[in-house]
Amino acid sequence: MIALEHLTKRYDDTLAVDDLTFEVRPGVVTGFLGPNGSGKSTTMRIILGLDHPSKGRAAINGRAYADLERPLREVGALLDAKAVHPGRSARNHLRALALSNGISYSRVDEVLEFAGIASVATKKVGGFSLGMSQRLGIAAALLGDPAVLLFDEPTNGLDPEGIRWIREFFRTLAQEGRTVFVSSHLMSEMALTADQIIVIGRGKLITQGSVDSLTATAKGTVWVRASDLATLTTALSARGGVVEAEHEGLRVSEMTSDQIGDIALGAGVAIFELTPQRASLEEVFMDLTSDAVEYGSGGHRE
Amino acid sequence: MVTVSSDVTIQSVVRSEWLKFRSVRSSIMGVVVTFTLTLGIGALVTIALRSHWPHESPLDRLTFDPVSTSLVGVLFAQFAVGVVGVLFITSEYSSGSIRTTLSAVPRRGQLVAGKLVVLIAAMFVVAEVASFATFLLGQAIFSGVVPTASLANASVVRAVILAGVYLTLLSVLGFSLGLLLRQSAACISLFTSLLLIIPIIVIFLPQSWQNDIARFEPSQLGSAMTSITTPAHDFGAWASLATLTIYVAVVTVAGVVWLCRRDA
Repeated sequence: MIALEHLTKRYDDTLAVDDLTFEVRPGVVTGFLGPNGSGKSTTMRIILGLDHPSKGRAAINGRAYADLERPLREVGALLDAKAVHPGRSARNHLRALALSNGISYSRVDEVLEFAGIASVATKKVGGFSLGMSQRLGIAAALLGDPAVLLFDEPTNGLDPEGIRWIREFFRTLAQEGRTVFVSSHLMSEMALTADQIIVIGRGKLITQGSVDSLTATAKGTVWVRASDLATLTTALSARGGVVEAEHEGLRVSEMTSDQIGDIALGAGVAIFELTPQRASLEEVFMDLTSDAVEYGSGGHRE
Repeated sequence: MVTVSSDVTIQSVVRSEWLKFRSVRSSIMGVVVTFTLTLGIGALVTIALRSHWPHESPLDRLTFDPVSTSLVGVLFAQFAVGVVGVLFITSEYSSGSIRTTLSAVPRRGQLVAGKLVVLIAAMFVVAEVASFATFLLGQAIFSGVVPTASLANASVVRAVILAGVYLTLLSVLGFSLGLLLRQSAACISLFTSLLLIIPIIVIFLPQSWQNDIARFEPSQLGSAMTSITTPAHDFGAWASLATLTIYVAVVTVAGVVWLCRRDA
């Protein structure tokens, strides 16, 4: 369980994290979503005790990270896969981590095997591809068999097979009752992986909830084709519908398909097609974060 | 399964950091270069002096110090040990692995203590072996032609031991500068400046000032520590050791405070 209380991080004149309060519960995969630069990585660094918050606190199982006696046995994290000394072998990198937290060397071999990099264990990390580095990062996160796991953009650099592998891996971890907290700037990615989603923008909490509840609350539209579009547009607008002409039909929002059918009947217009269209999670996300996109395109990563 | 069970302690941090220290090429190269410079320069200078001895002036012969002459390579090796100390911490920042390290050892003072134990132990052994080796090599080269010194003399033993201590302290100085600056290049330039540039600046000061200031220079403290005589304006060997230790301690404490307060 990870808990944030009014977490705030200010760098000079910018608020990277702005009064975040939420909980990440065990047993499910929780997606941490936001555009690039929205404060996801900063939040994760604060949770791990690497950055100091300006205000508020982050706790793991009720305690600050720095107070954990054996941090790797309680929390596993993959922040930046390339953040490993390039001149050290994968096995020595993991062994050094294991030694500091009293973890056996046999566990090192176990996680190397699990992550699928046992064959390159003695190779220098500097020569690893991003995908192999991600796997090494995952091995490091699992080293202490922790109940809480954090992954920052873990699918970067993975091939499609690796992405599928990691999705199933997250599900398995959650089914084992662990807390799994995964950040991404891609909603499509999280829609397939996460059960719960926390959306932030410009450091602020925008929304949180289950994937289903987020798409359910989102405004859907209805696609209509009818015999007399002009008459129908007038009739729908008069009753509060928002109508846009599109190709050979109308896209109506703020109304259900039942209401539209009734109004069309009243106006004497024949309906040819009436299709409710549910917003995809991607659209919900774009809609939610459109105000909060720090950098329109290109540039700046967190 | 995870079988061994223990909290993060200073011992476990030392074991981890020792593996990290010896598993990268830069430390190993640093040790090799330290040996090569200490012994190589020592051999060069002593051989040259031996062949030139018949032409030395009587005054030079009178003030000749066979101990500090044989230890002259230390003045070159000091840059190698400094770089070892610097890279032991700055490589964590340049690679980004400091974040992994600190998530395994979140108490930062504990991390620095562990790293210092490893650095001091490793560099002390290396530097002492190099010092004694170059001393013995130098005396062997001098033997028969130039007056030699013997380890039977307590002040000779002191000078040779302090040569190793000097190198060890300088590697800690490099490490602590690394804690403060975090960047390899900046640290190495600053370290070099402290040892080389300050003495050059001091030379341009009035003579009366020079005498008072020069003895506070790290390199001057080093030569006082490795000498069996005390030059007129220098501190004695033990006072020099104390002064240098204070310098290094101040920079180290500042580095630890800075590490604890800043974001990683």
